[in-house]
Amino acid sequence: MTAATLRRLIVIGLIALWEILPRTGFIPELFLPSLSSTLAAGWNEGSEYGHALAVTLYEVAISMAFACGGGILLGAIVGSLPRPRILIMPMVSSLYAVPLVILYPVFTVWLGIGSESKIAFASIYGFLPTMLATAAGIQTIDPQLLLAARSMGATLSQRLVRVIIPAAIPTVLSGLRVGGALVIVGVVVSEMLISSAGIGYLISRYRTILDSPHVFAGVLLVLAMAIAFNAVIKWIERKAAIWQTGSRAGQRAADEITAGAIQPAT
Amino acid sequence: MQPLANITPLKPAGAIEVRNVGQIFRTTTQDVVALEDVSFDVKPGRFVVLVGPSGCGKSTLLMMMAGLRQQTSGTITISGAPIPEPDPNRVGVVFQEASLFPWLTAEENVEFPLALRRVARNERRAKARDALKLVGLDGFGKRHPHELSGGMKQRVSIARGLVQDPPVLLMDEPFAALDEQTRMTMGDELLRIWAATGKTVVFVTHSLTEAVYLADEVIVMSPRPGRIVDHLQVSLPRPRTYEMLSGDAFGSLRDRIWRHIRKSA
Repeated sequence: MTAATLRRLIVIGLIALWEILPRTGFIPELFLPSLSSTLAAGWNEGSEYGHALAVTLYEVAISMAFACGGGILLGAIVGSLPRPRILIMPMVSSLYAVPLVILYPVFTVWLGIGSESKIAFASIYGFLPTMLATAAGIQTIDPQLLLAARSMGATLSQRLVRVIIPAAIPTVLSGLRVGGALVIVGVVVSEMLISSAGIGYLISRYRTILDSPHVFAGVLLVLAMAIAFNAVIKWIERKAAIWQTGSRAGQRAADEITAGAIQPAT
Repeated sequence: MQPLANITPLKPAGAIEVRNVGQIFRTTTQDVVALEDVSFDVKPGRFVVLVGPSGCGKSTLLMMMAGLRQQTSGTITISGAPIPEPDPNRVGVVFQEASLFPWLTAEENVEFPLALRRVARNERRAKARDALKLVGLDGFGKRHPHELSGGMKQRVSIARGLVQDPPVLLMDEPFAALDEQTRMTMGDELLRIWAATGKTVVFVTHSLTEAVYLADEVIVMSPRPGRIVDHLQVSLPRPRTYEMLSGDAFGSLRDRIWRHIRKSA
């Protein structure tokens, strides 16, 4: 049996257990409603969940654009210029150790409890790993490649477009994977804390009235969102498969990030 | 007005003149003299090897001949003109690590210097194919570097250095990272390519055997500050063969270089 089939069997087994354990009364439905009752709860309140999903996806999309765009841009600057690096990196690294969620109440004071405060929080939350990965990716480019390009008469802009960017792509992608996942976390968590819409808000509201099937329906949606995001990143990585085998240094940095050597505080 | 390329150079294409060249690395604490008063000539089509202990500045000298670094004093001319910046039409460079771009195929790597100059795609393809054929990699153009062996990567790197047909090829310890057998084979391959193209080759190495085996002339350098301590002619007949390695002529040349290096070590 291959590892892939085994993995699939485990997932199927877990889904089956989710249905069987609550149904046989082994686990009370309050703690874990069966899969079918969860799906039914979600289905019956379809429009409510649909609306919440739209709000959450909107917030995720905007935050993703800020976090990834800003992270790549600033990471590229910090990675390639020593002066801003000396200035900014120590601050960013210490900021990374701060549980950023403490900022969220402040954002609600500044921006209200609508989408803006979630977007602000999730953007900052996802921005840091993206920026750090991009900076690492650019710093670890093999200097021999740049020297070779220069020996062939490449100008500064040609070196940027034809060497630095393609060589940094594997590390940037793994940064996006972490950053994007954190954006989803950031949006959902902030919705659960203080808000009036979104999936996080629904989960939180149904929890207060002990309506477990509806809570789990929300959880399922968040799960689906994370899986979909992962699939998109995997697709991009496959598209860039050749680049993945890119600079060894870049690959090493990428491995470190995916292996969790760089992990945020929550 | 005549285009620049048509101006007849003072020296024939491929001639190299190094005159009183010095290089000082300035650090915050002190100035380090890397090279001092280095002068030599290379006639077109010659195979010259620079040899010397680590830190003697032989790679630095090569980088200056490639226009990748400017000397502190003295002049260097390639085909009669100074080389203030890299110019792949005049000088091709091959590095120790093959320095191929891993996201490009072998063919695209060879095309790279042409692409920088916006040469038309068809012409690029054709020239890259010819260069790959010259180095014995016909049919490997579509492979990526990670699908090639160390020796093949260096072949691609040589093809890239030659694709614009420069009269001079500079090689900075190109086979240092290869295993012994591959290294011997690549030496023979390089001599074949050199004979077929008639390029001027300046080759930096640590290996005395490699130096004598490949060279018309060997320039021996001392450790920091790098100076030329000997400039010897290798009069062994060509083509060079493996049997020559154990001959007396070969041995005495290698001993002569070794004595210089041992003295300075």
